Amino acid sequence: MMNISRSLALISLFILPLLSFSFSVDNPTDRRVLVLLDDLSLKSSHSIFFNNLKSRGFDLDFKLAEDSKLALQRYGQYLYDGLIIFAPSTERLGGSLDSKSIADFVDSGRDLILSADTSASDLIRGIATECGVDFDEDSSAMVIDHSSFSVSDVDGDHTLVAADDLVKSDVILGKTKIEAPVLFRGVAHSLNPNNNLVLKVLSASPSAYSANPSSKLSSPPQLTGSAISLVSVMQARNNARVVISGSLQLFSDRLFRSGVQKAGSPNKYEKSGNQQFVTELSKWVFHERGHLKAGSLVHHRVGETDEPAIYRIKDDLEFSVEIFEWSGKSWEPYVADDVQVQFYMMSPYVLKTLSTDKKGLFHTSFKVPDVYGVFQFKVEYEKLGYTTLSLSKQIPVRPYRHNEYERFIPTAYPYYGACFTTMAGFFVFSFVYLYHK
Amino acid sequence: MMARGHVRFLVLILAVAICGAASAVQPISDSHRSAAVDVFVPVDGSDKSLEEAYEALKTLEILGIDKKSDLSSATCENVVKVLGSSSSTLKDAFYALKVNGILKCKSGGDVPKEVVSQLQAGVKDAKSLLDFYYSVGGLVLVKEQFSGTDPSLGDAKAIFRSIKSLSQNDGRWRYSSNKPGSSTFAAGLAFETLAGVISLAPSEIDQSLIQTLKTGIVKLFDSIQKYDDGTYYFDEKVVDGHESQGPISTTASVIRGITSFAASESTGLDLPGDKIVGLGKFLLGVGVPGDAKDFFNQIDALACLEDNRFSVPLILSLPSTVISLTKKEPLKVKVSTVFGSKTPALTVKLSHALTSGSKDSSVITNQELKFDADTATYFLDSFPKNFDIGKYTFVFEILLDDSANEKAYITEAETKVPIAVTGVISIENPEIAVLDSDIGSVESQKKLDLTKDGAVSLSANHLQKLRLSFQLTTPIGRGFKPHQAFLKLKHESQVEHIFLVKTSAKKSELVLDFLGLVDKLYYLSGKYEIQLTIGDASMENSLLRNIGHIELDLPERPEKAPRAPLQSADPLSRYGPKAEISHIFRVPEKLPAKQLSLVFLGLIVLPFVGFLIGLTWLGVNIKSFPSSAGPAISALLFHGGIGAVLLLYVLFWLKLDLFTTLKALSLLGVFLLFVGHRALSHLASASNKLKSA
Repeated sequence: MMNISRSLALISLFILPLLSFSFSVDNPTDRRVLVLLDDLSLKSSHSIFFNNLKSRGFDLDFKLAEDSKLALQRYGQYLYDGLIIFAPSTERLGGSLDSKSIADFVDSGRDLILSADTSASDLIRGIATECGVDFDEDSSAMVIDHSSFSVSDVDGDHTLVAADDLVKSDVILGKTKIEAPVLFRGVAHSLNPNNNLVLKVLSASPSAYSANPSSKLSSPPQLTGSAISLVSVMQARNNARVVISGSLQLFSDRLFRSGVQKAGSPNKYEKSGNQQFVTELSKWVFHERGHLKAGSLVHHRVGETDEPAIYRIKDDLEFSVEIFEWSGKSWEPYVADDVQVQFYMMSPYVLKTLSTDKKGLFHTSFKVPDVYGVFQFKVEYEKLGYTTLSLSKQIPVRPYRHNEYERFIPTAYPYYGACFTTMAGFFVFSFVYLYHK
Repeated sequence: MMARGHVRFLVLILAVAICGAASAVQPISDSHRSAAVDVFVPVDGSDKSLEEAYEALKTLEILGIDKKSDLSSATCENVVKVLGSSSSTLKDAFYALKVNGILKCKSGGDVPKEVVSQLQAGVKDAKSLLDFYYSVGGLVLVKEQFSGTDPSLGDAKAIFRSIKSLSQNDGRWRYSSNKPGSSTFAAGLAFETLAGVISLAPSEIDQSLIQTLKTGIVKLFDSIQKYDDGTYYFDEKVVDGHESQGPISTTASVIRGITSFAASESTGLDLPGDKIVGLGKFLLGVGVPGDAKDFFNQIDALACLEDNRFSVPLILSLPSTVISLTKKEPLKVKVSTVFGSKTPALTVKLSHALTSGSKDSSVITNQELKFDADTATYFLDSFPKNFDIGKYTFVFEILLDDSANEKAYITEAETKVPIAVTGVISIENPEIAVLDSDIGSVESQKKLDLTKDGAVSLSANHLQKLRLSFQLTTPIGRGFKPHQAFLKLKHESQVEHIFLVKTSAKKSELVLDFLGLVDKLYYLSGKYEIQLTIGDASMENSLLRNIGHIELDLPERPEKAPRAPLQSADPLSRYGPKAEISHIFRVPEKLPAKQLSLVFLGLIVLPFVGFLIGLTWLGVNIKSFPSSAGPAISALLFHGGIGAVLLLYVLFWLKLDLFTTLKALSLLGVFLLFVGHRALSHLASASNKLKSA
């Protein structure tokens, strides 16, 4: 008996920190990350990236991609909040994992970093396709750029691309501008035009193309110019975030430490922009930044404080919502000037931009339209890099009651006057008629 | 298992191919030193095991970084504690002694007797290779560090034999006699242990034993793995029971083993030289590892290679494998040991320079490189006249000047280095023309100026052709075929078409016959931007030029023809605020001004006033009002009732609703009926009386 209770206490001691670290609404940053490698030497060659993640509090679990004990979930519970797949050549994942279970992992709102490389396997291509990214079908193709390559003493075929066409978003790439170009050597991909959730973070220059550098071209390359994406991100509708890179080396210590000089540019940088780029991107993908939380929608009539059950047409109402942004450690008030509310019935009747008090409260006031029916307050906030907010609250609107119309209309005074003088005349006449002699 | 080995092999190839795309293994340099400081950053001994502390200290010591002072105190405390206690494990004692060798926490005559006796007992009771390794290694360290002690090993020959019994036929070793799996990593440990046994043995070990060990080493070298570029490494094939060792630690273990074995005995070890250089190249090819263990293994193994008894490998490295013909840079080659230190006098010869693709034609043969003593570089400053841009494989040979050194130093038989030669390509006679299809006569021809954008505007219909031509020549006047020669036509609707410019040695030309292309162009008439891209890895002046536009007049799209593909809308367009919408309220009906209503109210009141005036003018009276009390009261009540009903109407207008009004009215009505009947019947009887009177 003693033994059992002791072991129970031990188990709960063991489970409690696990529970408190797991992904939750109050703490959106991922904690437990599974890293799938196709060679454990990547742990050493990409150590700056991994150590940086560890120093930010992530619990990395390194596994070989073909490890037969791999599992993402146990007893229906996911064991990890994030997944890093650095296994470009793996044809089959070990254990119970396949591209479908990875898609399910993302569908459950968890995050993924996927890196392919030249000669990426069909498995990796398949996962990327699920996320709206198509890698160049030619498995020997690489991104070549004869105009914006990195000037290097040892690279003779211009496949080490110095890319600086970054998406302009502070939330994805951090507030500090990435000055030095990002070094990239790998495979090109394009975005599926039917998928509007995926976007390019790092694009190639117009002179880039995707081909095998060591063989002559016999037909025009599939991907050319700025249509080539080097690194893309996808934020699913459930706010799961995915980063897809065409280069595994982008994350490597070698390129982190390497100096860079773009061809034709006099600027020489001591260090490439890779470390900053990758660090900021990983902050974004693991929800250390750009994660919004909204309180409930609050509305009431002007001058009142309680929320009514119904509005009458032409009521003046005040609307407010609190929005907070996750800073990695705590919820900070969110400041923006483009949050909008819709008063919606089949289509928006009123769409107003909310003003903020810089403490996270967004508010506005407007008059209820003179149309009755069941309306909704809708806040649908989509901003590049931020999680999507989609809130709504239903409220009916009724017309005037019979006694709420205007009673004394000046225009009708002649009619009233006519009635009342007639009544007065009748009263006087009743005397005259009855008692005149 | 096979698959995993295969994958690891692939990735390593990749890793080597990256850095060694130019086979340019560079000796250990400052980048290693700065990285070492990062990798071993919290080297404070307190929170690390002694093994880790030793690895950090050893690496920093080899690299010549002085960081001892920041970590000696805490680590030393730990060392003294371990050495002082008699209950520490063999492994701890071993690493404590290793750290002590660097930090000198305890030295001189202050021999830690407990540890010595513990190690001696450890040798005696040793069951597994690791027990032997730690205890023998510990005793060797005690002998080195504490002067005047000579810890006896006991029966050295018996120990030697019992360790030897763990060896396998293929040169690998087992960890212990009851485990069947053999390991290359263990072989390295065994060699190191046996070297320790030899150095501790009071008398010579039997030569025949050493001889069998040597053949074991040679056998082990048969299992070495190889890459195409002459890089060799050892890998662990069987990983059971023990944690898997990567190729770096396995290679490092073997190198440590054979160097300490070679150092401990005098007859010399005859190892294949190219494999020793290959091992050095492998360890250098790893680059800068990020993992502390790998970093230590790399540096420690290289340090063993740098200072060994059999042969020191010399590494040929090129600071730059890209030669620009325009800058007239010489080809520089450096030869050094793995740590970049100086070498004895030697000659570097460029034996061939092969054009990639064609195996036979050598552009340069047997050229000796000049030596610049100041920078310790060998260089080739003049290339033959027919040396053109492109990709080459240079084959170097290193010859030692002094044949006495040939035993001590070892070089690769030949080092193949891919070299890229770049230069400025001249683009001549660029022309663009619109031709009439059937006769091929030139409709309009324009010289192109490829130095500026947007110079050309052309127009054509579907019966015509577009011809673009230019000539590319290399600096020595040969025709040049670039890897990238694209013409891009971009329609206003963002639909793009890419055409390859056919390049031959003489002329590059592209003819677009629009008649055959209408389908491909999706019958889209209108303005097309023309963009020309010419680029190659050897071309220093790669260009991307918007040469202008062409106005195409194409026929209407037939029903069956495919439509232009959907162009992806700018994904950023869905972000950002939408336009505000404010509801437009129904306009209230137009009403006349209030004054007008008041004027009409006045007009409406006028008839009543006229009525009153008319009554007075007619001289009305109420003389027939009943004079007796009863009828008078009922008449007053009757009129009061009428007044009350009228007042009720006013109240109805002012504030009452219909229901209260009707209730009050029904009460008043009954009352009125009653008093009205009384009052009117009195009046009727009065008038009847009058009539009858």
